[in-house]
Amino acid sequence: MIKIENLSKKFGDLVVLKDITTEITKGEVVSIIGPSGTGKSTLLRCLNLLEQPSGGNIYIDGVDILDKKTDVASIRQKMNMVFQSFNLFSHLSVIENLILAPVKLKGMNKQDAQTKALELLRLVGLAEKANNYPDELSGGQQQRVAIARCLAMEPEIILFDEPTSALDPTMVREVLSVIRRLAKEGMTMAIVTHEMDFARDVSNRVLYMDEGIIYEEGSPEQIFDDPQKEKTRTFIQRIRCYTCRISSPDYDLYAMNAEIEAFCEKQILSKKSQHNLLLLVEELLQLYRPYLKTMALDITIAYSEKTERLELICESAGQKGNPLDSQDLSDDLGLMIIRNLTESISYQWLNGKNRLQLLIKTNLT
Amino acid sequence: MDLQTRTENNAIVITISGRLDTVTAPEYEKKILDLIEGGNNCFVVDFEQLDFISSAGLRVLLLMAKLLKEKNGQVRLANVKGNVYSVFEMSGFTTLFKMENSIAAALATLI
Repeated sequence: MIKIENLSKKFGDLVVLKDITTEITKGEVVSIIGPSGTGKSTLLRCLNLLEQPSGGNIYIDGVDILDKKTDVASIRQKMNMVFQSFNLFSHLSVIENLILAPVKLKGMNKQDAQTKALELLRLVGLAEKANNYPDELSGGQQQRVAIARCLAMEPEIILFDEPTSALDPTMVREVLSVIRRLAKEGMTMAIVTHEMDFARDVSNRVLYMDEGIIYEEGSPEQIFDDPQKEKTRTFIQRIRCYTCRISSPDYDLYAMNAEIEAFCEKQILSKKSQHNLLLLVEELLQLYRPYLKTMALDITIAYSEKTERLELICESAGQKGNPLDSQDLSDDLGLMIIRNLTESISYQWLNGKNRLQLLIKTNLT
Repeated sequence: MDLQTRTENNAIVITISGRLDTVTAPEYEKKILDLIEGGNNCFVVDFEQLDFISSAGLRVLLLMAKLLKEKNGQVRLANVKGNVYSVFEMSGFTTLFKMENSIAAALATLI
């Protein structure tokens, strides 16, 4: 139904979409997720030609919509869009908002358009608001009207651009339930959303966008339960990171401690977790100290808001080797503390780097 | 780290406060060595005001115990608690040192 090939979009020097290739088939519900500013909305706007792509091809039912001969208005009738900010005409009543496009663009007679509009308002639970003006409605109600207005054009595909982002949390559910109903009825939809539970429930397929590309895609189970790529995992598990580089044995321990404390406070970690983390970092740094003359050490503390896992990752170049296995240690005091503070420790030689990953015990935190 | 010493019942009572870590352990070690070399061989180390200890601090305690043993001296620890006690437990130090809940109790165990 929609075929996108090597789509790119630049705004001046800023590359927003790099090389997007994907397909959306009839009846499919595709959620597009990812951090802000990674091109999700731009992708939808390119599909609807609200933005002119810089390169690539978009086919709707085999028609190249970037071909200058293509009738853009008819494409837009096939593929309608619901915006974050509703975009209702404030000087028109709810029903007038709904009948405007069918009468003006499709040539429908006013009576039929009104009958159809009332049907659609019933579908979104707002028939009694037909003669109200948008300003008299809540945000959730306005968005439901916007969805009904979109349906009034009988589109084959609906693009939703963050349909609940501008709503109070109390109103999100009413809008999502309307979209869920459309999904059940087999409407083809592409939905940019930050509502992860909704995306998991409603979608057949999830696209995770990052860096202007489709970074990872798969079924909701694959993306939400077993993401394969690092950035997807970071996003899905709401991982917050603190990273620092130590490139000399004369590192400033107290400056680093202050930063780690600030990170812990920001993530609302307990005082005990904070203590254990500082202790673990110090013990590791003592083990790494002999190597710091010749190589830099990158320390990352990663806390998942979703799973509450607290991990510490040490990455260093130089010779392959796990500092925890070193034979040169004067005693095993540091190792004993490290092992007591951690649930698991794994060492990998990865891409020419030593990577030590420690999962901090939760029963101590 | 701040370190205060006083003499009580023929023993040196050392009160450490703050952190005993990689940065402060060398300073602590130097002061302890000076005291032992100065002929003192009975110590109570008070941890009441110590917030943090790492293996660097533990090593100095171990060195202190070793040097005192060679001189037939003694060391007792007082008020080891909270996070500091946890680190003692992790490293098996609770069985290596005699620990009491107060300076007075620690002084009373010195022979």
